[in-house]
Amino acid sequence: MQTRPETQRKEMSQGALALIFSAPAVLIIAATILAPFLMAVFLSLHNWNLKRPGRERFIGLENYTDWLTDSDFWEPLRTTFTFAILAVIVIVFIALLVSLLLNERFPGRGVLRALLLVPWAIPSVVNALLWKWLLNPQYGLLNAIWYDLGIITEYQNVLGSMPSVMIWLVIAYSWIHIPLATLLLLSGLQTIPSDIYESAIVDGAGIFQRFAYITLPMLRPMLSIVIIFEMIFALKVFDIIFVLTAGGPADATNVLGWSIYTETFRKLDFGAGSSIAMLLGAITLGMAILFYVFLDKGVER
Amino acid sequence: MRKHSRLRLAIIYFFAAVLLLGTVGPFLWLVSSSFQYERQLLNRPPQWLPNPIVLDSYREIFEGAVLGEESGVPYQSRIFLGSFGNSFAIAGSVAAIAVVVGSLAAYPLARLNFRGRSVLLFGILASRLIPALSLAIPIVLVAKQIGMSDRLITLVFINLSFVLPYVIWLLQSYFKTIPLELEDAGRIDGCSRLQVVIRIILPLARPGLTSAAILAFLVAWGEFLFALLLSETPASYTSTVVVSLFATDVDVNFVSIITAGVISVIPPICFALIFQRFIISGLLSGSLKG
Repeated sequence: MQTRPETQRKEMSQGALALIFSAPAVLIIAATILAPFLMAVFLSLHNWNLKRPGRERFIGLENYTDWLTDSDFWEPLRTTFTFAILAVIVIVFIALLVSLLLNERFPGRGVLRALLLVPWAIPSVVNALLWKWLLNPQYGLLNAIWYDLGIITEYQNVLGSMPSVMIWLVIAYSWIHIPLATLLLLSGLQTIPSDIYESAIVDGAGIFQRFAYITLPMLRPMLSIVIIFEMIFALKVFDIIFVLTAGGPADATNVLGWSIYTETFRKLDFGAGSSIAMLLGAITLGMAILFYVFLDKGVER
Repeated sequence: MRKHSRLRLAIIYFFAAVLLLGTVGPFLWLVSSSFQYERQLLNRPPQWLPNPIVLDSYREIFEGAVLGEESGVPYQSRIFLGSFGNSFAIAGSVAAIAVVVGSLAAYPLARLNFRGRSVLLFGILASRLIPALSLAIPIVLVAKQIGMSDRLITLVFINLSFVLPYVIWLLQSYFKTIPLELEDAGRIDGCSRLQVVIRIILPLARPGLTSAAILAFLVAWGEFLFALLLSETPASYTSTVVVSLFATDVDVNFVSIITAGVISVIPPICFALIFQRFIISGLLSGSLKG
């Protein structure tokens, strides 16, 4: 150690520099993510209801065991998964088709790719408003179109009943999530060398064979990433529920994100709210790991 | 062969048209509706283009902002322009601070050799795995207790912590593409590390910085959960909160609601289209707008 003071000093100074340079970012993240996270864990282990002040006390895992034995947890969990799985299927399927289209060379492709950013840039709340408008039971454009086409004989309130409310919630949610998935898949498609396709054509492979034996396997790493990200996002859904359905009708769209909100900020039970939030976090992380392992293994094979 | 390629183009343009309709169609209908009279919206078949172009709802929003209660327009219309300004202040500050703080943090991750480098990078990214909803509960509790609720500065900090991981990730991968020789030349000329970053790295990284700033702006502009939970008065409402107040109120007429929605997406859509190259390259370098 003493024989190389020069390198050691340099090492030290690089570490010190790194510490100083990254300090502001680390402090901001620690103060607004790490500290609240630890506090959320603390709250979830306590009886903490703002409607009954002064009765806060440590109750261990009681909040958790209460939820895990309560249908008020399992029903929203099922709804959350129904929503997330449908949303991921719709997003990935459409994004795959669109990215295949945009991977073709044709005049106007750049403009089309740029316009994809329009839905992407729309805030989720405004998106919810847009679909609330399109689906409005008296004025809605979609009702008018279906009526004129003769599909319906009177205007429908699609957000007022199951299963149509779930279907339209998934469509509205997917509309702003498809563009990013498309761009990611497109960048994956563009890494596939074109000479593989050319030799496949020479060998007489048709368009579907090329898709199944070249495109899909080579796109798989990016496809896995997109599926994992979209799954994580969809499990945490909240904004669009708030504006479009408020968990209704009759809890049909009461996902865990909405349960956490009502439990905490309407019933003011911060302990109970924190513990479902922790459960949702654990489920999300678990799904991400499960998908990662499952999809990654497939790539190696 | 010619015939084959013409058929190919025809098929492509058919699907391109479907895609175009699906991408911008719903939004254009929102814009078109905002220029119509409430009663025209009931027309069957729907009136695709506004005739005449009605600006009443836009005027209401400006009158409401200037005259306040005297104007007689709905509450949400009166507070909308103020919230639009708040969104600009928050998203603008977030973008500016995120680029400065993010560049500083990204530089050592891209260039320096130090123990804990990968731990730091992983830790920063992993912070995004925690669902915002679980953070919202303690943040609201503490913010109310220490008097930080209902303030724009609180929202700036919270949005910062959401965008910083993406910004740092994006910038460190961008910094790595800058040739090391340029930096060494500066070091030999006697620049300190900070001077190297300011004089050599940052000017060369301008496209990366632009991508990062725009993505940060768009994320902060669209943020809803914390804006909703941490605002108590119109003084700190953002435009997404006012849009939600509109959208969940059945008594307000539709044209006013739609107009607020249209105005609140003008900045993000303009940004997205003007800077589309930067955004797409930023998105593909691993940054995501959740």
